[in-house]
Amino acid sequence: MPSLVEFLQSIVNGIGLGLIYGLVGIGFCVIYNASGIVNFAQGVFVMLGGMVCQVLLAELGLPIWLAIMVTIPLVALSGMVMEFAIVRPMMHRGATLFAIILATLAAQIMIERITLITFGDRPRTFSEFTSGGPFKIGGVAIGYQLFWILGCGALLVFLLWLFFTRTRVGRALRACSQNSEAAQLLGVPVSQMMLVAFALSAALGAIAGILVTPTQYTAYNVGTPFGVNGFIAAIIGGFGRAGGALAGGLLLGVLQALAIVALGAGFKNVAALSALLVVLLLFPNGLFAGFGSAARSQ
Amino acid sequence: MALLSVREATKRFGGLLANEAISFDVEEGELLAVIGPNGAGKTTLFNVISGAYPPTSGSIHFDGRDITGASPHGVAHAGLVRTYQLVQLFKNLTVAENVEIGSHRVTRGGVFSALFRPHWMQQQEKSVSVGARELLRFVGLEAQADDPADTLPYGRQRLLEVARALAARPRLLLLDEPAAGLNTQETEALAEVISRIHLGGTTVILIEHDMSLVMKIAQRIVVLDFGKKIAEGAPDEIKSHPDVIAAYLGGTEILDA
Amino acid sequence: MTSHAITSTEPTSVGWRSALPIAAVAVVAAYGLMSSDYVVTVLGFAFIYAIFCTGLNFFMGYTGQASFGQSAFAAIGGYGSAILCTDYGWEPLLALIATMAISGVVAAVVGYPTLRLRGHYLAMATFALGLIAYEITIEWTSLTQGYMGYAGIPPLGLGGFELATLKQQFIAIVVMALIGVGVASRLRQSRFGRALASIAGSELAARALGVDIARYKLVAFVIAALYASAAGSLFAHFVGFISPEIYGTSMVIQSFAMLYLGGIGTTWGPMLGAVIVSVLPEALRGLKEMQDIAYTAILIFILIFAPRGLAGLTVLFRRARRPALGKA
Repeated sequence: MPSLVEFLQSIVNGIGLGLIYGLVGIGFCVIYNASGIVNFAQGVFVMLGGMVCQVLLAELGLPIWLAIMVTIPLVALSGMVMEFAIVRPMMHRGATLFAIILATLAAQIMIERITLITFGDRPRTFSEFTSGGPFKIGGVAIGYQLFWILGCGALLVFLLWLFFTRTRVGRALRACSQNSEAAQLLGVPVSQMMLVAFALSAALGAIAGILVTPTQYTAYNVGTPFGVNGFIAAIIGGFGRAGGALAGGLLLGVLQALAIVALGAGFKNVAALSALLVVLLLFPNGLFAGFGSAARSQ
Repeated sequence: MALLSVREATKRFGGLLANEAISFDVEEGELLAVIGPNGAGKTTLFNVISGAYPPTSGSIHFDGRDITGASPHGVAHAGLVRTYQLVQLFKNLTVAENVEIGSHRVTRGGVFSALFRPHWMQQQEKSVSVGARELLRFVGLEAQADDPADTLPYGRQRLLEVARALAARPRLLLLDEPAAGLNTQETEALAEVISRIHLGGTTVILIEHDMSLVMKIAQRIVVLDFGKKIAEGAPDEIKSHPDVIAAYLGGTEILDA
Repeated sequence: MTSHAITSTEPTSVGWRSALPIAAVAVVAAYGLMSSDYVVTVLGFAFIYAIFCTGLNFFMGYTGQASFGQSAFAAIGGYGSAILCTDYGWEPLLALIATMAISGVVAAVVGYPTLRLRGHYLAMATFALGLIAYEITIEWTSLTQGYMGYAGIPPLGLGGFELATLKQQFIAIVVMALIGVGVASRLRQSRFGRALASIAGSELAARALGVDIARYKLVAFVIAALYASAAGSLFAHFVGFISPEIYGTSMVIQSFAMLYLGGIGTTWGPMLGAVIVSVLPEALRGLKEMQDIAYTAILIFILIFAPRGLAGLTVLFRRARRPALGKA
C-alpha cells in the first residue's frame, strides 16, 4: 500500500508530466484546426527539442539560454519543412486522409532514424535549469525543474491565448479552423497559415522537450510515447480545443503517475495505450464534451 | 394492403422539427412523388424511411413489417432501395462492376463460396454479370460498361446509379432528386427510364424539384411544407390546390408544367 | 471503340493476366535458387512481406479502411509459433495454423469495437494496437524473453519432414505467397469482394444496397490479421530468431512502402512492391541503419507523386488508348 507521501509525490510528478502532455496535445490541436490533419509526427518535435538542446549544450558548450533560443527556431523550421515538403504537396494533389497521416508517420520514423545514425542510441540528458533542490514539503520532494515546467507552461498558455485572441495571425488561424473556405474569401492566406501552424506546433513540442529532458532523458525513440500521450490529452479534451488538451494532459499525467505507483512502471505504456483505446471508444468527443453534442468523429 | 405505410412520422433535430406527423401510404405498383419547397423536409423523410436515422416518433411499415428504426442495410434487404441526392458511385470501379455490386441483396455467398466456387456460385456469377449488362442496356449505358464509373458525364452517372439500384431488384425504389443538376435532354432521358421502371411493375417514390418531370410521370403527389404534409392527390388536384399554390408562391418555384 | 473488347469473357482475360505475374515470380524464385544463401534470405523476406501486404491490401486496398497496427498480428503469429514449437514441441505447420486462428479471434474481438471509428481515430486506434503488442513483447519477459528475443525456432516442416535447407524453405514461402495472392484474387472477384469494394467506394451507397458495412469491415480486418499472422510465423521459422524490433513500427512502415509502391488495391501490387522494396536497399548496398530511411523516403515519395503505385501505371497504359481523360 503506497504511503500518503508517495501518493502526493506521484501527483506532483504527474502534474509536471501532464503539463508536458498538454503542450504536445495543444500542438496536435493547432495543426488539426488549421488543416484538418492529425500530425502523427508530433512526438518527434519533443524528441528533437531535447536532443538538439542537449547537443548544443554538451558538444558546442553553449549556455542554456542560448541553446534554448537556438533550439526552438530550429525545431520550428523542421515543422515548416514537414508542411512544405510533405503535407502541402499531398493536399494539393488531393491525397486521401489516410495517405497524409501515413506520410507524417513516415516522416517521424525518418527523423528518428536520422537522429539515431547521427547521435547514436545513447540516452542523453542535461542538468536542470537551476541547480539545487529539491524543494521539500513534508516528505514530498519538488524538483526546481518542476517549477520551471509549471511556470513556463502557464506562461506559454497565456501567450497562446494572447496570440489566438489578440493578434491578426492568431485570429486568422482560428478563422481557418472554423471554415477554411470562408477564411480564404476573407483574404486569409490559408496555405501560409498552415505553415504558421506547423511552425507553432513544432515550437510547442520543442519547448516541451527542452523542459522535460532534465527530469528524465531524451533518445531518438522517445517521440512516440510523447506523441501518443499528447494525442490522448487532445482527445480527452475533445479534439481541437487547446484548453481541453491542457486539462486532458494534466488529468492523464496524474492518472499515469498514480498507475505507476499502483501497478509498477513496466506496463505503463501498455496502460496508457489501453487508456487511449478506451477514451476513443467510449468518449469520442472527449471527456469534457457536453451531452448535447451529438457529432461523432469527423 | 399498402406496400409502404408511413404513420405520424416525426423527426426532431434539437429544436428543429424537420418532419411533423407525416402520414401517407404507397400502394404496390404506384409512382408517387414527394414535392415541396427547399427545406420542407423531403430528404429527412427519405432518411427516416430508409433507416439512416430513426424517427423521433411514429412508425414505418413496409410490406406488412414494422421497419421503424431498422438499420439502413436491413431496410435495403427488405426490398426498399434508395438513391441519394448527390451521386454516390463506386468511382474507381467500372460501370458494369457498379451494377454488379447492386445485386448484393438478391445473391448469396460469403468467403467460403468465393474461395471454393461451388457450381451454384459460378452460375450466380454468370447471371450477375449477364443481368448487369441487361440493366445497362435498359438505361442505355451498355457501350460504357467497361469504363471507369468516374469518367461518365454527370447525367449518365445518374442513370448508372438508377441501374445499380435496379440490380437490387427493389420492391420499392426511392429516388432522391434524380434530376438534380441535369439538363433538359438528360432529364427527359431519365423521365423515360423512370416511366419504364414503373411500367415494369416496380413501385417508385420520387423526390423531385423539377415540376415538369413530376407532373408528367407521377400518379399521385404528396406535398410537404415546413415539415408538414399540406396536400396529397393526383397531379391535377395538386396544381390547383390553394395551400400548395400559397407554399410555392412564397418560394421561387413555379408550378407551371 | 471496337466491340470485341466488351465481348471478351472474363475468365480468359483473368487467365492471361495472372499467367504473366506467376511466370515473373517463377523467374525471381529460380534466380534466387541459383544464387547464394544471402540472396535467398533477402528474397525469402520479400515473399514473407508479400503475404503480409496481401493481407493488409484486403483491409486497406479492397475495403478502403486503414490499419496502422497489423504488426500486432504478425507478433502473435511469430511469438505464438516460437513458443509453441520451441517450448512445447509443436509441429511448425500446426503452430502456424493455430496462431492464425488465435490472431483471427483477437482481430474479431478487438476489431468489433474499434472499426466503428473513422478517419484519424481509426488510424490512431489501430496504431495503438500495434504499439501495445510491441510493448507487451518487450515487457512480458517471462513469455517473450523481452529484448533478448526468442532463439532456436525450428524451420518449417510437415509431419516429421523438416525443410532443412534455406532454399527448401524459400520454395515453401514462395508457394504460400502465391496461394495467398490466389486466395485474395478469388475473394475479390466474388459477391464478398464486391461488397468490400462497395464500402471503399461509398459507404452510403453500399448500405443502401443492403451491404452490412460493419460486418464486412470486420471480416476484412480478420482476413488481414490471418495473413499477417501467417507472415509473422513464417518469419520466425525462416530466421529461427525473433525479437520485439522485428514486429515494431518499422514493419508497419515497410509494409506500407511496399503496398503503395506496388499499387494499393491491386491483385499483384503488394507482392510486386514487397519484392522491389526488399531488394532495393540490398542493391544499393546501403548500411543496415539506412534501410528504414530508404523505406520512409520511398513511401513519402510514392504517397506524394504516385499514390496508385506501379500497378497503377498499367491502368494508365490501358486508358491511354482511349480518348484522353483529364484525371487519373
